[in-house]
Amino acid sequence: MPTSPVNTRIPLTSFGHLITEVKKQLFGIKAPTSVELTGLRKYFNSYTLQGRRNCVLATYGVFAAAAAAYFMRRQNKKEPQTSSST
Amino acid sequence: MVLSFFDQFMSPSYLGIPLMALALILPWTLYPKPTSQWISNRVLTLQGWFINRFTQQLMLPLGRKGHKWALLLTSLMIFLITLNMLGLLPYTFTPTTQLSLNMGFAVPLWLATVLIGMRNQPTIALGHLLPEGTPTPLIPVLIIIETISLFIRPIALGVRLTANLTAGHLLIQLIATAAFVLAPLMPTVALLTATLLLLLTLLEVAVAMIQAYVFVLLLSLYLQENV
Repeated sequence: MPTSPVNTRIPLTSFGHLITEVKKQLFGIKAPTSVELTGLRKYFNSYTLQGRRNCVLATYGVFAAAAAAYFMRRQNKKEPQTSSST
Repeated sequence: MVLSFFDQFMSPSYLGIPLMALALILPWTLYPKPTSQWISNRVLTLQGWFINRFTQQLMLPLGRKGHKWALLLTSLMIFLITLNMLGLLPYTFTPTTQLSLNMGFAVPLWLATVLIGMRNQPTIALGHLLPEGTPTPLIPVLIIIETISLFIRPIALGVRLTANLTAGHLLIQLIATAAFVLAPLMPTVALLTATLLLLLTLLEVAVAMIQAYVFVLLLSLYLQENV
């Protein structure tokens, strides 16, 4: 009976982890070596743990900055309106 | 007094005194305490064997740091399985049909696993939010998706248990009412309905045990990621 090429102990905590594990075992993700990662990709990539952490923090930072800019702009719009009405 | 099908899910009270506390204390009274005798009786031996075996299986994928959670998870499992099984008795209130109770278990325990991960290993905890080998254009999208799935976990935990128990109890009541109403009118059909009711009750016994196990297993998986 043909055996599955995929090992059975696949972490099932998230769909992303499942897909990553299957890709690794069936196709083999060829992670670039540390020498190949240069420039910005050395710090922001999806292969190393630190790279993934930095990508997550950068994404959250961009959203936080956008939200802060939006609320400040809304506050600035409200202030001229109240001063012109008085 | 006209009873609706949802009266079984009302939180019980007597003369204005809520009886929820009594319903929650009941499982504690049903389990014998281990004695200081060298060899216990059959019930205690079985109880001890089950608790040890279950804890061993649950703690297998967790490291030593996760073993601190053994008491909490095993007692939660026994509590949930007892509440679910007792609720299958006729005219018995099932506390786990209350979303407030299940969310009261799910949210703090899930939050504890997340905070433990962020405190002890923040890089690994944040790294979990982006699967390895993701193509660059998909990185922001996948981070958002994984963040949403992280925050949906406690809701899913609580609602899964509530919905399964509530739906099961409702089905049992509906089919039992149908069998009772059909008995004088169409006895053969009532007999078939009663057979269906018996099979459904057996299914609900399995669901009661499985849902308690799934709740605790998922919590241990979330802990495994973070500890």
